[in-house]
Amino acid sequence: MLLRNLCSDEITQLENQGCWAEAWETVRVVDHFNPHRIQRVRFYGAVELGDFSADIEVEAGVRRACGIYDSTIQDCRIADNVRIADVGELVRYTIETGAVLQKVDSLIVVGDSTFGNGIEIDVLNEGGGRTMRIFDRLSAQLAYCLVHYRHDSEMVACIEAMITDYCLERQSSRGVIGSSARIERCGVLRNVRVGPFAEIRGAVELANGTLASVEADPVRIGSGVIARDFIVQSGSHISDGVMLTHTFVGQGVRLGKQFSAEHSAFFANCEGYHGEALSVLAGPYTVTHHKSTLLIAAQFSFFNAGSNSNQSNHMYKLGPLHQGILERGAKTGSGSYLLWPCRVGAFTAVIGKHAANFDASELPFSYIDVQDGKTFITPAMNLFTVGTKRDSSKWPQRDRRKDAEKHDRIHFDLFNPYIMGRVLRGIDLLDQLVQNTPREHEIVKVKGLHIKRLLLKTCRKYYEIAVQVAIGQALAVKLEAAPHDSWRAVRDELAIETGSNLEEWIDICGLLAPQSRMQELLVALRSGEITDLEKLDDRFADLYRAYDNSNWSWIVALIEKRLGISWNGMENEQVKQLIQQWRDQAIKLNKMILMDAEKEFDVNSRIGYGVDGNRETIDADFTAVRGTFAENSFVWQLKKENTEIAARADALLERLKNLSP
Amino acid sequence: METTEVHTRVKAVIARVLKMEAGQIKDDANFIFDLGADSMQSLELVAAFEEEFGIEMDEDKALEVQTVSDAVDFIAGYLMD
Repeated sequence: MLLRNLCSDEITQLENQGCWAEAWETVRVVDHFNPHRIQRVRFYGAVELGDFSADIEVEAGVRRACGIYDSTIQDCRIADNVRIADVGELVRYTIETGAVLQKVDSLIVVGDSTFGNGIEIDVLNEGGGRTMRIFDRLSAQLAYCLVHYRHDSEMVACIEAMITDYCLERQSSRGVIGSSARIERCGVLRNVRVGPFAEIRGAVELANGTLASVEADPVRIGSGVIARDFIVQSGSHISDGVMLTHTFVGQGVRLGKQFSAEHSAFFANCEGYHGEALSVLAGPYTVTHHKSTLLIAAQFSFFNAGSNSNQSNHMYKLGPLHQGILERGAKTGSGSYLLWPCRVGAFTAVIGKHAANFDASELPFSYIDVQDGKTFITPAMNLFTVGTKRDSSKWPQRDRRKDAEKHDRIHFDLFNPYIMGRVLRGIDLLDQLVQNTPREHEIVKVKGLHIKRLLLKTCRKYYEIAVQVAIGQALAVKLEAAPHDSWRAVRDELAIETGSNLEEWIDICGLLAPQSRMQELLVALRSGEITDLEKLDDRFADLYRAYDNSNWSWIVALIEKRLGISWNGMENEQVKQLIQQWRDQAIKLNKMILMDAEKEFDVNSRIGYGVDGNRETIDADFTAVRGTFAENSFVWQLKKENTEIAARADALLERLKNLSP
Repeated sequence: METTEVHTRVKAVIARVLKMEAGQIKDDANFIFDLGADSMQSLELVAAFEEEFGIEMDEDKALEVQTVSDAVDFIAGYLMD
């Protein structure tokens, strides 16, 4: 802005309009400044004023004049076409074009502030030890490194130094209210940076934080919110009495209905209503909707908390030191309780109250329940429950992030190498238990869990179905993309140049990658090859993009191990068998899921329907409300999927049959 | 194996897994609605039948079996094969 001093006529007009300045010579204005739209305003310090000649929409269909009315302004730069009305104190802020500030008690920057960047939060371990510093570009993957690799002090120090540099860049004695932001009917906002197009309506208190809003995906803060020492990334909405302290809110998050959180981080697409979170690392899609639900000292992702879910992180010994990990896709049933330390495997449902510490990470897709006070696990049972299938297909569709820059990298594949690696270990474990357990033993104990001996072989068979489906579906996709006339050409195209690798994969808070690739990244950090947060983010992006190739390398290695032959020696006939297995097992698995879905329509599910009628009324009422099994959209989709699997497999088998050698 | 023996042993397995008296189990009893078997007990029943008769049943077809008499027929079919 090219600025000039006010002329004497303008000062006179301003004074006639009820304005006052500590020193008019420090109030500078743009060339076309019109004093008419500055009324009853008190100016302190250096103030810069733009052109306020336009009108602005303050609510849908409600337009008001730009300008400054009934407010006190100190040391501010106010751009063109801003409306500021009834703001008690506006101190040390740059207000960008098109912003509206109305009925705000105080909006003030005190001292130098990083606006929440660099705040330390104690996740997982409530007593500290996994302290992480939050900032407005934090990703779930970076958080994972900081929280879980504390033993790599050199690497942690490197990242800490980068965060320090970044926070210093963000440090300022002046805040920013971004273009077209709306701040209305609020209490005190102190040391808060507000990004473009953010909306803050009715917040009680916001202190030391950043709302990293963008035009494509604004941040919205609603009534009654109190937030201290916080970061909120783009597209997140927080409303209705939420209380946050030392908390990070990632992209596309929804918090409301008096939810409270302390020392917690919520990454992409999390939802928190009614309940409480303390020292929680909530990976993508962590959802808690109910009152009396406490999430404490744990890591979750793709998680759904049943009402009154609860956990304990100490037992009146050395303090709240214990932690829990619920791997992706885990769920807790209503009234469930877990005693930390404890680890729940991927896509596992926990039902009941568990007073024992257990590690179920090598038995994914399980049911964990309580029988006679003991924790029992039924491995693999969740493979063919309708919830697993429904959840895994709904998450990609529910990614609500609209910001072009997505901080968290998320892989959604259900049968990915991380989980399938656990399934393979589960198979080994069950095999060992089958071999080592005499028939007269009814129950087997392993890692704090009880398993019924009878189920060992059965559950192993279910895991085997998953392995065959995982191999087949990856193989089918690759074969479909290699339309050659000879088997040799197909095989060569699908060969892994760098060699296949059946290595361990990890779930980096939503991003799936071989552990060795993560180790390479950590080495690059320690060696100084990665020098700033942007380069580190690029490396996570590389890992994200490498998924398809790495996944195929893992699948090829798995095929090689199971068939005892290298890919280069693989025969057409062997691949045909794998496709045939996929056809059979994938269709079988879906049929088992359909059977589970059908239970939702059986007689037991109709209890409470047709309250004043006979059997006929009950059925009619149920059908009117729930529809029929055959017409259910999920059922219909699953049947369609089976038809498609059969068609794809048949087409591939026919093509393979006709290939020349 | 005679069907009557299969019948007797099937009921004995059901009684053991669902913790009830074999004499209380009727042939037309539905595992879920009459005998109260939940999802996990259904898996246990499949596993127990496999062990009792030394057979390996098709997973999805086994879970389709709804009544005691259906289970007897289903298992007898495997034993005949």
